[in-house]
Amino acid sequence: MPEPLALVTSGLTKSYRTGHIIQGRRPALEDLDLEVRTGEIFGYVGPNGSGKTTTLKLLTGLLKPDRGDARVLGEPLASSAWRFRAGYLPEHPYLYDYLTATEYLDYAGRLFGLPAPRRREKTRELLALVGLERSADVPLRRFSKGMVQRAGLAQALVNDPELVILDEPMSGLDPIGRRLVRDIILGLRRAGRTVFFSTHILSDAEALCDRVGVLRAGRLVRVGALAELLRLDVQHVEVFASGLPENAPGLESARRERVGERLRLEVDEPDLGRTVAAVEAAGGRILSVQPVRQTLEDYFFREMGAAAGGASAWGEG
Amino acid sequence: MSRLVAVAANTFRETVRERVLYNLVFFAVLMTLSGLLLGQLSIRQDEKILKDIGLAAMDLFGTMIAVFIGTGLVSKEIERRSLYPLLAKPLTRGEFFLGKFAGLAFTLLVNIAVMTAGLVLTLLATGRGLSPELVTAVYPILLGLLLVVAFAMLFSTQTSAALAAVFTVGVVVAGRFADVVRNMREVAPGVPPWLAETVYTILPNFRNFDFKDRVAYGEAVPAGVLAWVTVYGVVWIAIVLVLGLLSFRSRDFQ
Repeated sequence: MPEPLALVTSGLTKSYRTGHIIQGRRPALEDLDLEVRTGEIFGYVGPNGSGKTTTLKLLTGLLKPDRGDARVLGEPLASSAWRFRAGYLPEHPYLYDYLTATEYLDYAGRLFGLPAPRRREKTRELLALVGLERSADVPLRRFSKGMVQRAGLAQALVNDPELVILDEPMSGLDPIGRRLVRDIILGLRRAGRTVFFSTHILSDAEALCDRVGVLRAGRLVRVGALAELLRLDVQHVEVFASGLPENAPGLESARRERVGERLRLEVDEPDLGRTVAAVEAAGGRILSVQPVRQTLEDYFFREMGAAAGGASAWGEG
Repeated sequence: MSRLVAVAANTFRETVRERVLYNLVFFAVLMTLSGLLLGQLSIRQDEKILKDIGLAAMDLFGTMIAVFIGTGLVSKEIERRSLYPLLAKPLTRGEFFLGKFAGLAFTLLVNIAVMTAGLVLTLLATGRGLSPELVTAVYPILLGLLLVVAFAMLFSTQTSAALAAVFTVGVVVAGRFADVVRNMREVAPGVPPWLAETVYTILPNFRNFDFKDRVAYGEAVPAGVLAWVTVYGVVWIAIVLVLGLLSFRSRDFQ
């Protein structure tokens, strides 16, 4: 019977030292109380410097908390027992460039005490999973950034972990790589694993997560299912039409915008039928009708856009 | 233990792939040239010079490897963040740190063993006899090198590879002149005796590992002296490794 909660933190707090001569402390994470349920994909989102990576480093033992505690897979954070059952991909991983991908995964397997035949089998399986089987014997120094990211993901899965902690797993990946990583994450959930990942790419969180935690300036400001956080009902309908002037009669209630040859109309859902009829009456042609729901990005810009400094806050890192 | 061995084996592989053992080529060239050039000297003299050059080269190359590879063992892992995925696994910081030390120790052992074989072969090739007493000089050199690695790793837990190298070289140079520090009163009477004694005590005396002159004259180091040097070296290595480990364990990886 698995633990109902894969991860629980209580009051986890971390600050960093600043200055050399006159030393102060800069808070990075304050009183984090978080629960990640077994078998879910939990997205940890927030602007740069909000404390995402700090949280993940605290959980993996790379940082020591100022105060607070956590339980991972039912074990105390300080215990090493849960580490046999978890995997971790750091942000922008650097793997030993003098090793090949096969050698690196074999090394990772040795650290879990896996016997040699199991390591060989697991290495083959994982390289195929991340699409690196043709580069299995190429030194990692010849890998592109995206290939290193994929090899990094493979090493995080070498022990068949029950909990996978991923720090910006899509970072540096091309669209094909991103799709591949998305599929792997979804595959992990299907296999009953728990995935806890941080991202600044909101569309990834939106596409993958059962629940998200929103972090701002070191504080967890919201946790919940996307449906709870977002208004998933249709906000408005976006209509693209061609062959009619911007001031055609009957379109007064729609927000209008000329996009090249096309006219983009933003109308409330009840007005859709009337708008379509007006377009046809004016001799225009409907090109597309798209219901628009609130996205996670809309949520962010609404809730904390000003505090986060607008779009620039969602840069890499 | 198996994880420590895995880290050690990987460290050894790293040093081999980073072409650390290429210094053996220089050593081979040095020995060959020395053997050819010293053929003109008297038999007794050229044997001493060959041994001198061979042992000094072992010490020099070994120290360079110990300092420059030793300082990178931990600091580069931290700077490049390559240790992050490893420390999240069931690998303790102690296993990582000691595994790194053991890996470089094995590299130095292989390096010194091959150089010793090269020196013996050169002596044999130039018509000199087998010199088993060489081992009694080589073994303390190896112990001294392991102490250098321990210092290099201690410094590299808290600073960059470059700064750690500067500090390590500082300790090695000061340690080679430790006797001068102890007898400082003779050259600088104003220095308080307690200061000279304190500095001498906190510095490892690297001269204690140096029997090159004695062995070059064909004299073996007595077993009792080697036993004392072993205790001295092991205690120093243990102290410095423990300090390094404590420093490494207390570190945050931001």
